[in-house]
Amino acid sequence: MADTATPAKAKVLVVDDSSLVRLYYRSALEIAGFEVKQAINGIEAMEKVLSESFDLVIVDVNMPRMDGFTFLRLLRSGAAADVSTLPALMISTESGEQDMAEARVAGANFYLVKPVAEAELVRHVCVLAGVAL
Amino acid sequence: MPALAVALAREPIPRVREAMMTALIRIGNAASIEVLLPYLRSQEASVRAAAIEALQALPEAIAPFMSPLLNDGDSDVRLLATELARNMEASEATRLLCELIEHEHHPNVCAAAIDVLTEVGTPEALPTLERCSARFAATPFLPFAVSIAMSRISGEES
Amino acid sequence: MDDSKEGSSFAVHISPEQVQRFCEFLYRRTGMSFAESKRYFIDRRLEDRITATGSSSFQEYFSLLRADADQEIEHLINSFTVNETYFYREEHQLRCMTTSLLEAIVCQKKPGSTLRIWSIPCSTGEEPYSIALWLMENWPQVDSYNIEIVGSDIDTRALKAAAEGIYGDRALMRLSHDIIGRYFGPVTGGNHQIDEGLRNSIEFTRANLIDTKDMTQYRDFDLIFCRNVLIYFDDASRRLAAENLYDCLRPGGYICLGHSESMSRISPLFRVSRFPDAIVYQRPEADHG
Repeated sequence: MADTATPAKAKVLVVDDSSLVRLYYRSALEIAGFEVKQAINGIEAMEKVLSESFDLVIVDVNMPRMDGFTFLRLLRSGAAADVSTLPALMISTESGEQDMAEARVAGANFYLVKPVAEAELVRHVCVLAGVAL
Repeated sequence: MPALAVALAREPIPRVREAMMTALIRIGNAASIEVLLPYLRSQEASVRAAAIEALQALPEAIAPFMSPLLNDGDSDVRLLATELARNMEASEATRLLCELIEHEHHPNVCAAAIDVLTEVGTPEALPTLERCSARFAATPFLPFAVSIAMSRISGEES
Repeated sequence: MDDSKEGSSFAVHISPEQVQRFCEFLYRRTGMSFAESKRYFIDRRLEDRITATGSSSFQEYFSLLRADADQEIEHLINSFTVNETYFYREEHQLRCMTTSLLEAIVCQKKPGSTLRIWSIPCSTGEEPYSIALWLMENWPQVDSYNIEIVGSDIDTRALKAAAEGIYGDRALMRLSHDIIGRYFGPVTGGNHQIDEGLRNSIEFTRANLIDTKDMTQYRDFDLIFCRNVLIYFDDASRRLAAENLYDCLRPGGYICLGHSESMSRISPLFRVSRFPDAIVYQRPEADHG
């Protein structure tokens, strides 16, 4: 587990249609000192990143109404310049080479395969959000 | 119907694809289900999601297809199929998902089933959930998921 | 809202776990979510609905809610939202219209061309009249375009009241005395009638959002206000309504939803657009994916 004395309260958006997954990430990240908001799919994620600023977005692949790849492509499209470089960690059940390649092309900065342990999650989030462990 | 299936596969315009899905939901019979099912195996995440949503809107028509889907050889299909139980009647959804969990080896498929049970499960699911937690005690996330599911289903703190 | 309902005397125990289960369901289904600090508010509403539906336990009520028996989802949403219509409701969207949306819309139009705005459902007319008033008061270019405002509803009685344009003090509470003085005249019963010119400037029609054939009469809107209705629809109706609204908009046109609604539960067809005063949704200019 990461050091709980993380100085800055970096803000993370967790995007996953599973309420359990969102809760799991949230509790791990809050213990590590992050502020966490949630979204259930790519559309709600877009609403959230356009409404408030985040240091990182964690995004699933399979979600209703808008999947994670589509969300990342839209985010990176530059339509809203200030969010187009927001670091993104994709975490999915999809473990194929093709999915990882698609994630990279869509604009994910890193890709993890579920299930992810809390310590591993926090470690990657710290690196991507630029927060010291 | 087969013409619609072919058209759906090739349709690049979201508005048109969406309309085809909506039309299938409105028809809502076994033939619509058969058009939609192959899309659960699509390489495209957006197509899989659209198919799941359309199928999910037809809980009665999908019922006879649930057992084969939850026993599919492809774990990705089993995983997506758990979501189809969400709009089903609670005791039936619980029965189907527990049957799956009892013999499911893939942690992510179990996790998906547990997520649906957290919302719709009845107390009959509790013993299955407990066994699942024991089986996957060393797997990240699963014991956590089970404890939340059990507390939500029983209405009591875990 | 009234907090002293008889529900509080009813002894249905709701545990925190059950409230969580309920909140997750509501969030997934509608996008509505509540802070931890609202726990008391949620408990009270939930107790009220359990009592009102004659359920003997949370579990029984939750099954009923999941099955949407007797339109329980609608009753529930009503108990969680203030369903009151008055002039200048959700003013930030009206401000967004004049400070951002119309700029984006008219930059592709020649002066003198037509600008179409639709209020659906318009209920008893407060919304379309608010749009007209707001434009006259706040948009300097109001005389440079031929503005058409259409108000539609499925309820013909509401439409009749809308065409009459008579309102009580409550509906006018957000308007200044100055505006009331200039645009309304007194009628019997202490009510106010909106002036004839305004009444004649808005076309009121009956329309059903989920009737695709009916909706084909409505095309080329630049801006649609569709507030607080899609949240009540089931998934299939919601899809259909969203597709119909998409077709009623001109490519590049905008749609505003109610403040507790999110397009994330409705349709992937629209693009999320951020403006300083509001988040609105846009039909993309081109139809490709």
